Formats: sequence, C-alpha cells, structure tokens
Amino acid sequence: MKPGLKVGLIGGGAMGSTHAEAYRVIENAELVAIADLIPERAQAIASKTGATIRSANEIIGDPSIDVIDVCVPTFLHRDFVVKAAEAGKHVFCEKPMARSLKEAEEMKAACDKAGVKLAIGHVVRFFPEYISAYHKVKNDQIGDVAVVRTTRGGFALPTAWNDWYANYEWSGGLVLDMIIHDFDYLRWLLGPVERVFAKSTLGRDYNRLEYALVTLKFKSGAIAHVEGSWVNSGGFHTRFEMAGTKGLIDYDSRQTSPIKLTVNRRDGTPGVPVPTGAWEESPYTTELRNFINVLDGKEGIVVDGNEGYESLRIALAALESIETGKAVLL
Amino acid sequence: MKVGMISFAHVHAGAYASALNGIPHVEFAGIYDEDEARGAEAAEKYGVAHFKSLDEMLASDIEAVVICSTNADHCHYTVKAAEAKKHVLVEKPIATTIEDAKQMIEACKKHNVKLQIAFPVRYMPAMVEAKRIVQSGQLGRILAIKGTNNGSMPGGWFVEKDKSGGGAVMDHTVHVVDIIRWMLGLEFEEIYAEYDRLIYDIPSEDCGMLTMELTGNVFATLDTSWNRPKSYPTWGGVTLTLIGTSGVLEMDAFGQYYNVYRDEATKAEWANFGGNMDYILVKDFVDACINDKPVKITGEDGLRALEVALAAYESGRIHQPVKIEDIR
Repeated sequence: MKPGLKVGLIGGGAMGSTHAEAYRVIENAELVAIADLIPERAQAIASKTGATIRSANEIIGDPSIDVIDVCVPTFLHRDFVVKAAEAGKHVFCEKPMARSLKEAEEMKAACDKAGVKLAIGHVVRFFPEYISAYHKVKNDQIGDVAVVRTTRGGFALPTAWNDWYANYEWSGGLVLDMIIHDFDYLRWLLGPVERVFAKSTLGRDYNRLEYALVTLKFKSGAIAHVEGSWVNSGGFHTRFEMAGTKGLIDYDSRQTSPIKLTVNRRDGTPGVPVPTGAWEESPYTTELRNFINVLDGKEGIVVDGNEGYESLRIALAALESIETGKAVLL
Repeated sequence: MKVGMISFAHVHAGAYASALNGIPHVEFAGIYDEDEARGAEAAEKYGVAHFKSLDEMLASDIEAVVICSTNADHCHYTVKAAEAKKHVLVEKPIATTIEDAKQMIEACKKHNVKLQIAFPVRYMPAMVEAKRIVQSGQLGRILAIKGTNNGSMPGGWFVEKDKSGGGAVMDHTVHVVDIIRWMLGLEFEEIYAEYDRLIYDIPSEDCGMLTMELTGNVFATLDTSWNRPKSYPTWGGVTLTLIGTSGVLEMDAFGQYYNVYRDEATKAEWANFGGNMDYILVKDFVDACINDKPVKITGEDGLRALEVALAAYESGRIHQPVKIEDIR
C-alpha cells in the first residue's frame, strides 16, 4: 500500500477512468475503491489499479477513506458531494460543479460546514498551452486584452451512460458541460463577466447536433467569443486567439500537435473524447496532484467551490440567454 | 467604355484604378478628387487625366464612375453621377444612413443608370467554390454560421463617425453580411452587438462582436474587430464557418497563401495567391454596363448590409437585440 491519502472514486466513465490512471502516478495518493453502476467498467479500473469494487454508500461510509472523487453525470453531483462532505471527506468533483446554482450552493455549504475541502475539475487551467498563454498575458506581452475567441469541440455528441449528455435536464448540453471550461479559463484570465449573450441550436429543431456561440462582455472591457461544437468537424480540437493593445496570440490544436495519428473510425463512435497529448504529465494528473498536495499540507493550486460556482453562473446565464433571446447581466 | 474615378479617399481606390488600367475595352479616362493634390498625384501615378472639377468630369463622355470617397460622401457623388447619366460602382458600405442609401438607389433608378456596390469578397475564387459546395447540398440544411472579418486599424477618416458612419462595426460588418446573403439566400432579422474602443486611442470603436438571427431559424456571429497588430503577417482576413445538418464547411477567403520570412521585413508575412478580387469585381461591373446586364451586387444588397451595421450600433446602445424592421 502506498503512503498518503486514500481516495474513493465514484463513477468510472471517461473521466473516472482518466482519474484512476492519474492516481497510479501520484505518489502521495492511492485509489482504494471504485463504485460504478456498470460492473465491467468498475472491474476494468479495479484490475488496473488494485482498487476494490464497492457501492458508493460503502465508499463514502468507509472511515479509512480521506478523499471522494465524484465523476458521475452532472445532475448527480450534488447528492454525492453533500453525502461525502457530511461523512467528513474532502471532495474532488468533476465540472460543471452542478446543474443549478441552488445545487452548487448546497454543495459549498455542506463542505464549509464539515470543514472539508472541495475542488472542481476545471482542468483547462492545467493544460500547458492555456497556462503558457495565461502567463504571456499576465506578463503584459500583448498589453490589455481586448478581444478573445475560443473554440472547443468538433466531435459528435458524446455518448455515455443512459445517453445522459443528450438529456438537457441532466447535462445542460455543451454550454454547461463543455464550454464552461472556456468560461472558467477566461474568468481566471480576465476577471468577472458583466454581460452574456448566446445562441445555440438548443430548442431549435436539431438537438443531436449541438452548436453554440456565446459572447461575454467582461467588467475589464474585454469581449470574448466562445464557440462550442458537438458537430463533427474532424474531431476534438481547441483554439484560442487573444488580441490586446500590444499584440496577439493565436493557438490551434490542429496545427500544433507534435504527433499526428489518424485512425479510420466512423463518425458517432460511442464515448466521450478525452484530450491526449505529448505531455510531460497529463493535465488531469497535474490537476489531481495539486489537490492531493494541498490536502497533504503542501503547495498546490485548487479550483475551489467558489470558483466553480462563479463559472457555473456564466454557463447558466448563457443558457438563459439562449432560452430568452435576451442579454443577461451577471 | 470610358470610366472615371471620383475621390481617392478610400484605401481601395488604388486597386480599382489598377484594375481599370488592366481591363480590355476600358479606357480609364480620369480622376476627380475633392482633395486636389491627392487627385493630381493619383492621375499621374495611373497615367490618366486629372479633373479639377467634378462637373467637368461628369460633363465628359465617360459612361461610368468608380466612387472611392469617404462613406459619408457616397450619396452626394452617386446622385451627381446618376444625374449626369453615369453608371456607378461605389465602395462599401453603400452609405452611412438608410436615407442616403435609399436616395442613391432612387436616383440611379430614376436616371436609368446602374448602381453596383463594391463587395469584392463575393468574387474571391475560394468564395465561389464555397458557394458551389453549399449549393451541391453536401452540408444539408444550415443551422449556424460563424464569421470573422478582422483587420488592422485603418486610421484616417475611418475612425471619424461623420465621415465613416462608425468604426470597426461599420467597416467590417457589411462584407460578411453580403457574403451570407449571397451564398445562402438568407436575410438578417435581429442583431445583438458588443463593441468597444479597447485597443487604440481613436474616437470610434475598434472591436465589434455581432450575434444575429437570420431567416430559416439560422443564427450567426461576426467578429468585426480591428485587432490585427502591426506585427501580424497580413492585414487581416475574412473567414466563414457553416454548420450544416450533414457537414461543416470552414472557409478562409484569403487562405491561399504561403509564408515568407525576409530579414528586411522584421516579421513573417503571408503571400497571397488567391486571385485578384478587385480586378474581377471591376471587370464584372464594366461587363454589366457594356452589355446592359443587371449588376450582380445591387443598391438593395448594399442597403441590406448597411441595415445590419446600423442595427448593431443601436443594440450596442441598449445592450439588447434589435430587430432590423425596427430601424428601417
């Protein structure tokens, strides 16, 4: 058994199995238990990591476990996070924090009351290109940021347990599930958002091809255009362009991969694409390592519940704008 | 056919002048410019007559004029040319107000002369090919459109509202609006805009971001920002992404380029080989005049594009979407 914190993982889907891999290389943490409704999935993680397969309630109730990692569909986050906090566990919860602000508030309150730490999986803050651009801007290399454009997606609607991504009430669609990454990153970079206007295919007539364009006006003055796409345009990719008073940065993951692999595959392959890359360390590992280190009394960067809540507000404002056709003030 | 040019205020004047000199059947007959020195210089550069008075040029035997004045002067010059029975090719945007645009359209109709708006991007071979793909049906039904028309900050009268009608939004809304109308046959119904002066110390906005509702349950966004720094490899560009039920089409109107690294330039450059859209535009206008065919880009096309820019300004004022019909 490794020294360090004992982690129980709830949910072994695309993100849960990514996290399970991460714990194998984090020295001061050990994945000891996995819960998943699909036995084969739990078994796959258990046989790779040595974790035992147990029910979620057993894991949360086990006094030897220090951290609960919640990787279930969005609409279930609140229940598991609150239970885990009440059991005195620190919690890592995948993004988006919750399906509604009320749920997110309950999660924050439960963690505060129990005195446990809560981290939200805004992993883009740990991606090397996004970190590098963040520092480029903060070091005044392009001056004050004026206009930002981001792109995320380009793959068909992800398919997972019970097709939950396709259920708007469960997932919030791509605005809440995916481009919240960009909302969070931009808020980290540029500060609070003043106004949101958005349009999407949602509620029109072709919901399995979801595509959204969101404009954010920041209190700093900056204007951001955020594109999210669950329409296949060659597979998952991300882009950003930031224009400032002294210069411009642009990035396109399709043009900067040091390695290109093409595997013939039909569009609509089941699953959820998780970015891979030529990394010193997977950003998913870096993210969890930081949280574990903080719990372990060391230095680390954690996107906490307050941050997760603020980014959730932007995504929900975008959904409100899509629904009403009006601009939403934050 | 003899053609004259009115005003070299706009930076595109040189490209049209070169085109006029290169088109068979055209005699580039002369230049009038309200700035006499600028007119004389241009006349010498292109080897044509310099008219010191507009009336003198309009009284000559030219059959058409190309107008590259400030946006605000388009109406005055177009009406004068129409009254003198000259066909008109006028730089975009058609005008700075709906009233002016309508007056121009009426005058040309009344005097039975052609009025074409200079939207050269329609003539880019890449755009022509894109329209062919759209019309082939390969994309299915169009759901959404993402457009950009970014550029460097032009300065000069472009930033003075009384001459240009606005800033980055006025300058860069109309091209992509026209391309969308032409390529997809959609009309614009409601506009939301965020714009601001964020980069340069100028009187007008330099950044603009429009979100638009179109006919056919289609939505679109358009980035009009003058945000290309001096170190950028080119002046800017026009891009358009179409999201369809059976496919996605990404277009870069100026995407046919190669990289150039020259020590004398101190920055990387993109050398374009995508075709001379200004030449094709002017030639098409001349052909329409000579053969008495309808022009491809009408005054109404210019007015439709202008309406979107004006609705964007109104939206930016009230921070909510504005219906096109409410600003007509």
